[in-house]
Amino acid sequence: MKPLLAFMKKEYLEAARTGKLLILILLFVLFGIMNPAVAKLTPWMMEMLSDTIAESGLIVTNIQVDAMSSWTQFFKNIPMALIAFVLIFSDLFTKEYKSGTLLLVLTKGLSRYEVVFAKTLLLLSLWTFCYGICFAITYGYNAYFWDNGIVNNLFSSAAIWWLFGIWVICLIVLFSSLLQNNTGVSLCTGGTVLLAYLLSLIPKVKVYSPTILMDTNSLLIGAESVDAYIKAVIIAAISGVICIAGSVPVMNKKQL
Amino acid sequence: MDVLAIRNLKKNFGSKKVLCGLDLSVPEHSIFGFIGKNGAGKTTTMKAILGLLKSDGGKIYIMGEKVHFGKTSTNRHIGYLPDVPEFYSYMTSLEYLTLCGEVCGMDKAGIMTRSKELLELVGLGQEGRRIKGFSRGMKQRLGIAQALLNRPKLLICDEPTSALDPAGRKEILDILLAAKEQTTVLFSTHILSDVERICTEAAFLHDGKIAMQGSITELRNKQSSDGFIIETEQKWAADTLIKTFGDLQRTEQNTLVFHGGEDRFFSIMQYVVENRIPIQIIERIEPTLESLFLEVIK
Repeated sequence: MKPLLAFMKKEYLEAARTGKLLILILLFVLFGIMNPAVAKLTPWMMEMLSDTIAESGLIVTNIQVDAMSSWTQFFKNIPMALIAFVLIFSDLFTKEYKSGTLLLVLTKGLSRYEVVFAKTLLLLSLWTFCYGICFAITYGYNAYFWDNGIVNNLFSSAAIWWLFGIWVICLIVLFSSLLQNNTGVSLCTGGTVLLAYLLSLIPKVKVYSPTILMDTNSLLIGAESVDAYIKAVIIAAISGVICIAGSVPVMNKKQL
Repeated sequence: MDVLAIRNLKKNFGSKKVLCGLDLSVPEHSIFGFIGKNGAGKTTTMKAILGLLKSDGGKIYIMGEKVHFGKTSTNRHIGYLPDVPEFYSYMTSLEYLTLCGEVCGMDKAGIMTRSKELLELVGLGQEGRRIKGFSRGMKQRLGIAQALLNRPKLLICDEPTSALDPAGRKEILDILLAAKEQTTVLFSTHILSDVERICTEAAFLHDGKIAMQGSITELRNKQSSDGFIIETEQKWAADTLIKTFGDLQRTEQNTLVFHGGEDRFFSIMQYVVENRIPIQIIERIEPTLESLFLEVIK
């Protein structure tokens, strides 16, 4: 346990001293502010553009924005934040393989599974923390400007999307233990998400695909209940655990 | 007792056979020189000892305990310094040693005392900068400090002096010599003067096997005298000798080198006496590890 804690401490120190933590926090704070800001500014922007729009034959009438517009914006923006998160941490393992920094700590008695667990815990905690900040900021502004009460299943939607992020992180860990370079890790993670998305286009498979966890619109407007996501949630959770558990033997057999 | 014992170790990279049945024993409290050409398989052997590389056959024992690939339990007896040690550059040397100490399960107070003691030993006691700004020699010295941290039974150094300037090399060799009191040192190198300077034992790795192993004196004695150097006072004397004895080689104007048996040497001496050839120096060429090494890899 002690080696794991020591290595985790090193992971957080690395995230802080290499500036990754700062970039992430700034990014998620920015997204958190942007969601209500874009919603708030939409009527004003439309007014500014109304003349141009009128020329093309469209008439801008009174535009209503509320907490729902801001939350829709939140779920539209959060994929970009997740992509940034994946890109920032795609070299979390591979950088250590390339530079050979793992060699010394492994020869000091750190187990390879502890490397996998420490890095996974770092990613999970940072994702939860940053996602939480983004959500809290949007929630706070929305409560100030409008009323969060009009949105259905808000916390379940947010939790479902958070789980999708966790699933993607498990993919990062698996591909990081399999591959040697970070481009491969990003491409394979993206490729798997794309594959899951393509599978979700088949009506019978749709409910099982973790990518439907990204689409929470119908949940927000109350058109669907959380039950519709249960199968995908279970699949995402099980496959996530399999990815992490599978990374350990892969890492054990890796020649460094 | 042998700290390290390797039996019939084999390793191929594709079709290339790097190690083919390597046997090696390192006795306790020795400084063991592991000598071989570049690409002979020194690093491969060391990585196999550390369980970082999967071997294709053979067994390795550390303090009588078998080494398994991918497992690190035998590494608690080992301190390892790779040829180019890489550290987390955003840490200071004390922070890095603390990480290493915590990973090996040392207690907090122990880590602090031992780290400070070792940083003093390797001359980094006053260095507060992050590792990012360290020179190669400083990294090598920090590497030795981290390797000695948990008082290992065996210190493995992979070509610790190869990339350093003469001053840096001397520092590292002195530290290794000082470390002998606490541990057994196995270090690979192709710099033979380093081996002659500090090692008590050595082994030559060639063609994937140990071609020769023993104490430095034993190894030196394995080779008979390499020949003689004869330096004459004047050039004409050297000319005469060369004309008479075809197998003499000229290295300088008045200096001749002779390789061969004693009989041949005495006949040259007889000729020198009979013809009253003025000689300045006659010197026996001492067998060196270098000549032995060259003979081994021939």
